[in-house]
Amino acid sequence: MQAEDFYDSIRVGLISMLPRLKRFADLLAGGRSAGAALLGRSLQRMLAEEHRYQRGTALDRWAFAEIYRLWLDELRDHADPIRQPKIDDASFARLFRSENGEAVDAFTIGFLRSLPPQQRLTLLLVCGERFDHIDAGGVLDVTAETVGARLVRIVASLADGLSARAGESATIETLYREETAA
Amino acid sequence: MTELSDELLVAYVDGQLARKQSSAVEKVLEHDDVIARRVAALKDAHRRLEAAFEAILAGEEADAAAQPLPRAPGLFIARDALIKGGVAAAGIVVALVLILAGYGWPLAAPEFASDASGPADPEHVGSLKRNWQEEVARAQALLSRASLELGRDSQGNRELIGFHLGQAIGAALTPPDLAPQGLRFARAQLLSFGGEPLAQLLYLGTSGAPVALYAKKGEASAAPQFKRYGGIAGVAWSRDSVAYLLAGERDEASLLLLAEAIRSGQEIGDAAAAPDGSPPAPRPSPARP
Repeated sequence: MQAEDFYDSIRVGLISMLPRLKRFADLLAGGRSAGAALLGRSLQRMLAEEHRYQRGTALDRWAFAEIYRLWLDELRDHADPIRQPKIDDASFARLFRSENGEAVDAFTIGFLRSLPPQQRLTLLLVCGERFDHIDAGGVLDVTAETVGARLVRIVASLADGLSARAGESATIETLYREETAA
Repeated sequence: MTELSDELLVAYVDGQLARKQSSAVEKVLEHDDVIARRVAALKDAHRRLEAAFEAILAGEEADAAAQPLPRAPGLFIARDALIKGGVAAAGIVVALVLILAGYGWPLAAPEFASDASGPADPEHVGSLKRNWQEEVARAQALLSRASLELGRDSQGNRELIGFHLGQAIGAALTPPDLAPQGLRFARAQLLSFGGEPLAQLLYLGTSGAPVALYAKKGEASAAPQFKRYGGIAGVAWSRDSVAYLLAGERDEASLLLLAEAIRSGQEIGDAAAAPDGSPPAPRPSPARP
């Protein structure tokens, strides 16, 4: 394959993955508008630096890593990263539009919103993209062990939260019907 | 009560355990209600997360489907115009696609709303794993009735094989002799790709996976080009309207050398070929142990 065809195929591959890349950027940035802007900047950088893409590398893994790398670079370049605006609750909730009418529960949305972006992405890559821990770690520049540890902590925490909520809403039922006096 | 860590249980729910380990966990679940309830809670959490991520993707795909993509070849949008018009809410998807087109390269039909997981890029080696049924179904699609016409008895007669395959793909295709390269011809069969015959010649060395030479009708001629398909490497070339692909789990240098040996043999064969096109006489197959 000639070099120009090869780079054209990268572009076509990126187009085919746009919805997945957008989801990744949305969850990282915390909203659709911010995600679109982040993805736009990332795509421009990917195209400018496409020569860095190595043949044989999974294109989705490379593209996700590039988006994450740009987000991290921008965070590091920020004059005061600690004072960056927090995620807007309404914008974040609007990410979860279900087209088939099956609504995502507010508890899970609130739980995801409360997570740091790196942990949200760990979940997305393993539960949403079904990457193995090594690939997910490659995207987020952490070890597979870190991915595994994050996953256990987050899923167990959500399970605990759901169980506690179920406990709060449980009602006491009478197991045996009381005999009424004749 | 058995003590099982959340690490183990999450790995179980996530399908990361080996089969024996999963079976061991399942045995515990049958007898321990506490662990069973914990696994159910973890599964519920997992399912809710998957549903949440699916919902985001469904929204993005719906946006993509709602926005017609520019398909004109050679579309060129100035970079400044892209940045100005980039992220308006209704045109987010189009804007992103235009960013990809913004350097003036043509857009090939992307079909990006149909299957987000499918690799449209021929170079792309996705991280999503297909299950065995999908892999086998894809291999099954290559089989046709003609695949079984080259019986085991014919496999010892390379000329007869060459004649059969040549009849199908429209050009002489005697299996190249790769013994000097340490590869023994094992067998040949006729597959089908896109309704067209596809010849497969299999070779085996003293160790390692087989090497396959594929041939089908193709372009007039093209120089050999190396390409890697995940763990499989390939060298593709065309000659006399036949497209060839040599594939195997080998390094680039080794595969290019093999391809060169095959191409050299083809040139010699062409020079010595008899033009009558008659089938070679069948010869007895070698005795099998």
